Amino acid sequence: MSHLNTVTFVILLASFLIVTLIGFASARWRPAEDPMHLNEWGLGGRGFGTFVSWFLLGGDIYTAYTFIAVPALVYATGAAGFYALSYTIMVFPIVFIFAPRLWSVARARGYVSPGEFVRGRHGSQGLGLAVAATGILATMPYIALQLVGIESVLTVVGIGGTSSNVFVRDLPLIIGFSVMAAYTYLAGLRAPALIAFVKDGLIYLTVIVAILYIPGRLGGWGRIFDTASAHLAKTSPATGKPYGSLVVMPAGQWAYATLALGSALALFVYPHAATGVLAAKRRDVIRRNAAMLPAYSLVLGLIALFGYMARAVPAVNTDIKAAGGNAQLSVPLLFAHMFPSWFAGVADAAFVIGALVPAAVMSIAAANLFTRTVYKELLKPNATAAQETRVARVASLLMKVGALGFALELDKTFSINLQLLGGIWILQTFPSVVVGLYTRWFQRIALIIGWAAGMAYGTVEAYLTPGGGQAHFGASAAPVFGHVTYIAVTALVINLAVSAVLTVVFRRFGLQDGYDDTRPADYVADPVGTRAGSGPRASGYTTAAR
Amino acid sequence: MAQHARPGKSSAKWGVVTVLLTVAIVGVLWVPIYSRSLPKLGPFPFFYWYQFAWVPVTSVLCWICYLLVMRKRTPYAGSAHGGGARK
Repeated sequence: MSHLNTVTFVILLASFLIVTLIGFASARWRPAEDPMHLNEWGLGGRGFGTFVSWFLLGGDIYTAYTFIAVPALVYATGAAGFYALSYTIMVFPIVFIFAPRLWSVARARGYVSPGEFVRGRHGSQGLGLAVAATGILATMPYIALQLVGIESVLTVVGIGGTSSNVFVRDLPLIIGFSVMAAYTYLAGLRAPALIAFVKDGLIYLTVIVAILYIPGRLGGWGRIFDTASAHLAKTSPATGKPYGSLVVMPAGQWAYATLALGSALALFVYPHAATGVLAAKRRDVIRRNAAMLPAYSLVLGLIALFGYMARAVPAVNTDIKAAGGNAQLSVPLLFAHMFPSWFAGVADAAFVIGALVPAAVMSIAAANLFTRTVYKELLKPNATAAQETRVARVASLLMKVGALGFALELDKTFSINLQLLGGIWILQTFPSVVVGLYTRWFQRIALIIGWAAGMAYGTVEAYLTPGGGQAHFGASAAPVFGHVTYIAVTALVINLAVSAVLTVVFRRFGLQDGYDDTRPADYVADPVGTRAGSGPRASGYTTAAR
Repeated sequence: MAQHARPGKSSAKWGVVTVLLTVAIVGVLWVPIYSRSLPKLGPFPFFYWYQFAWVPVTSVLCWICYLLVMRKRTPYAGSAHGGGARK
C-alpha cells in the first residue's frame, strides 16, 4: 500500500490546486469596506446567509478527523462508535435554543468570540481568560488531528514515503498545510467559507457513490453486517472480552448516552463552532440551519457504516494488520481497494479538503479568542481595528505552527489523548458561556473555581483511565458510582455543583458581582444590515423572539 | 416591546417548542429504547435504522419550532440601553 498510485495522486493534487486558487480568490469575495477590521477577517463580515452558513457550519463541525475516527471506532468496536450519530442528532435541538442568544448578544456588543462575551457578561477578566485559554488549549490538538486525518489519507495513497526523517516524510503535509495557512492569513474566514462548498460537494458525492456502489461489490448489506457481527463476537486478546457488538449492550448504554450528550453540549462552546454561528447575517439563519444541518448527520452516519464495509474487505483487514492495527486507515484503505483509482482520488480529495476547512476555521477562531481576550484585554487595550486584525492573522499562523508541531513531533497517540482532554476541558466553559446567556445567578469567582475543579477532575480522571492497551488516557468514559460515564459530563456536574455552592457562600459574605456590559434586550437583538457589530447604539435595531 | 405584547400566547408557543425539542433529544438519549436488533428493516438492525430515521424527525421538529417562533422583524426602542444598571 505504500507505493504511489499515480492516477489517485494526480486527481488529489489537481483538487488541492483548485482549492488553493479558490482560497486566494476568496479574499475578493464580498469585498469589505474596511478589510482590516476583525469582523471582516475573523467573521467574514458577519454577512453569511442561510445558504453559505449551511455549507460553512457543515464543513466546519463535521471535521475530517470525525470522518476518519468514527468509522475507525466502528471498525474496531462496532455499535459503540455510533454515539457520534446520536450526538449529531441531539446537537441541533440544543443549538436551536441557545445559539440565537449568543449570536444576538455578540452582534449587539460586537463580540467576535465566546471569551469576550464571558468577560463582558460576568465582568471578570479572569473568567474571560479562563474561557479563552480553554478554547485555545482545546483547539490546538483538534487542528493537529485534522493533520493526522490528512496523514492517514496520504499514507494510503503512498505519498510521503517511509523515510525516517520526519521532515522528508511529512513534506507533502507541511507544504499543503503552509499553503492553507497562507490563504487563511490573507482572506480570513472567507477562505474556508468558500472552500466549504467544494468540500461538502465532494463529501456528499463520495458518500452517495460509496453507499450505492460498495455494498453491491461486497455481496450486500446483509453480508456486511454478518461479517462485522462475526468479527465483533470474537474475543479480543487485549481485554479478554468480545471486541464489541452490533447493538450497544446494557453495560455500555450509559456511556453511550453520556458521550452523545456531553459531545452535543460541548460542540457549540468550541470556538470554531461559535465562529461559524457568529458569522451569520441574521438571527433566524441559525434556527433555519438547526433544521437543515441534520443532512450532514445522515452523511456522518453513513460514513460510520464505512467501518463495517471496511471489515468486509479482506484486503483492508490485511493492510491494517500490516500497519500495526491502525484502524484510522480503514476508510482510506476501503476507497483504495473498492474504487477505481480515479474515484479513489476524488474521495481522498474530499477527506483532505475536508480537513483543511475546519483546520482553517479553528485557527481563525483561536486567533479571535487570543486577540480580543488576551491582546486587547491585557496587552494593548487601545489597539485599533487594524492592529487587532494584524495580531489575529499572526496568531492564526502560530496556532497552525503549534498544531503542525503536535502532529509531526509528538506521538500520534498523544494528539488523540489531547483531543480527548480537549473535549473534557471545553465542556467546563459551559456554565460561563451557555448558562451565562440566561442568568447571572452564578458568582464570577465561584464560576472560576468551579471551572478549575471541573478541569482538574477531568484531567486527572482521564489520566487514570486505562484502556485499549494504554495505561493512561485509554478511554473517555470512566465509572462513577458503578455507571461508566463520559468524564466530561461528570466533570461538568462537579463544576456546576462547586459553582453553585460557592455562589451561595460568596453572596452570604457579600462578595461583589461583576459589572454586566450586556442588557436584556441584547439577547434578542436582530440588527438589520450586514456590517453591524459597531456597538449597541448602532441604528436599525429590531428584536426577535427570545 | 413587541415580543411581550401577548405573553400568554408566547409562553404557550415556547411550551410547545420545549416539548418538541425535548422529544427530539430524548429520542436518541434514551438508548435502551433502540439498542436492539429487531425489528430489522431489510438487513439493517433496529439500532441503525431507528437512528437514521431520527435524523429527519429531528430536522422536521426543529423546522416546526422555527416556524412557531419566527416573527416579523419589528423596530424596537434603542433607548432601552441605559448605562450602569446592575442585576
